[in-house]
Parts: sequence; structure tokens; C-alpha cells
Amino acid sequence: MAEKDNSSNPPAAGAALGQYHVVVKGDTLGKIAEKYYGDPSLYKDIFEANKNVLKDPNKIFPGQKLRIP
Amino acid sequence: MSFRNRFSQFAVLAFVGLALAACANQKVPATAAISGIETAINAASAEASKYVPDQLADVQSKFAALKDSLDKQDYKAVLAGAPAVLSSAQGLVAAAAAKKDEVMKAFNGDWTGLAASLPNLVSAVKSRVDILSKSKKLPAGVDLAAAKSGLEEASSLWSKAQGAFSSGNLEEAVNTAKEVKSKAEAAAAALKLDLSQPAAAK
Repeated sequence: MAEKDNSSNPPAAGAALGQYHVVVKGDTLGKIAEKYYGDPSLYKDIFEANKNVLKDPNKIFPGQKLRIP
Repeated sequence: MSFRNRFSQFAVLAFVGLALAACANQKVPATAAISGIETAINAASAEASKYVPDQLADVQSKFAALKDSLDKQDYKAVLAGAPAVLSSAQGLVAAAAAKKDEVMKAFNGDWTGLAASLPNLVSAVKSRVDILSKSKKLPAGVDLAAAKSGLEEASSLWSKAQGAFSSGNLEEAVNTAKEVKSKAEAAAAALKLDLSQPAAAK
């Protein structure tokens, strides 16, 4: 089951401004895309924005913090 | 008529003459003092009305009282009060300049912060609008049309703010940039885009 990152701290200085999602067990990029965009097929936008931490869109791990563009 | 009566008449006439002469002697400097104060107030009023309006109003009030004394031919009162009012009127220029400098420093700080943060905010909203525009089914509660409209306004206002800054109008630049922030934040809210979360650890 997906969990929402409820932290409300301001972004760190110099960090990219955006919305973030912490991956939990059972998450897929498709599920995350559906949650934020309403459409699982838009998972590629999340993958593209997180290429610095993701090598494969099918491999995400609990605890990873993904930027949701 | 006795010598004594003639002398009395002469004394009265002399007194009246001296009084009139004294009065005439004070009228010229009193009028000049009023004119000098008026000139000082006029020279300072444009900036003073903007930056030290209370101080300007105080000087204008005291000046009005002096003019009233002049109209009543109370030249002595005019000459007694004029130096202090003139000094206050002349002080308006420096007071307004000091306040203006303070206000400009504050605007400069505001602009620096807004110029650093707004492009990122507008860019984050635009990115989400672009992605949601491709979505087959929007998430519940998302108002994409409102966000698009707000983003358009924010972008247009941001160009206006930058133009004002380039032409040296710092006050307009800051006020317009604050409108940009408000529009962009409203657009983000319409998208349910929460930008208050911490960034990912590097």
C-alpha cells in the first residue's frame, strides 16, 4: 500500500523545487503516476525526472525519494 | 493751545508714527520668512508626501498657522515662529531621503529573494500542467483549467516585473513579483501540487 510523505519542512537551500514521494512496498511508477497524474501511462515523466536515482523504471525500492514533476 | 497740549499731541502722533514704522519694518521680513518656508516645503513635498507624510503634514500645519498670523498682521508672531518652521521644512528633504533609502533597501532584499525563488516555482507549476495536460483522467480535485489560467497570468506578470526592475522601478517590480507568487501558488493549489516537501537527499 502506498504511503504519502507528510513532511512539511521547506525545501533545502539550492534543492530543486518540486513534490516528492517516498516509495513504499507495493509501489510501482505506474501506481505513483496514477496517484499524482490520474494516469498510470504517465510513469515515464516520473522516471525521466529521477534518472539520477533510477536505472530501470521497473525497479524502485522502499525508502527511495522520488521527485514528482 | 498751551505748550503742554501741543506737546501731548506731538507725542501721540510721534508714537503712532513710530508704531506704524515698526509695523512696516516687520512686515517685509515676515513676508520674506513665509515665502522662504513655502519654497522649502514645495521643494520637499513630492518625496516627503510619499516617504514622511506625517512629518510633512506637521510642517504644513505649522506653516498654515504662520500664514494666518501674517494675514492678521501679527508680524511679531510670524518672525518669532518662522525659524523653527523653516528648519523643519528644510529637514523634510533629508528625512524623506533617509526613509526612501530604507524603503529601497527593503525592496532590494525582497526582489533578491523573489527573483531567486519565482522562476523555480513557475517552472514547477508549468511542468505539472504540461504532464497533466496529457493525462486521460485527472486526479480528483485537480482543476487544470484554473491552473493553466493562473500560470498564464503568473508568466505574464513575471515578464512585467522583470521589465520594471530593468527600468529601475524597484517598487513596482517587487509588488508585481508578489502578485506572481500569489498566482503561481494558487495555480499549484489547483493542481494539488504540494511544494512544501523537503528535497530528496543527494
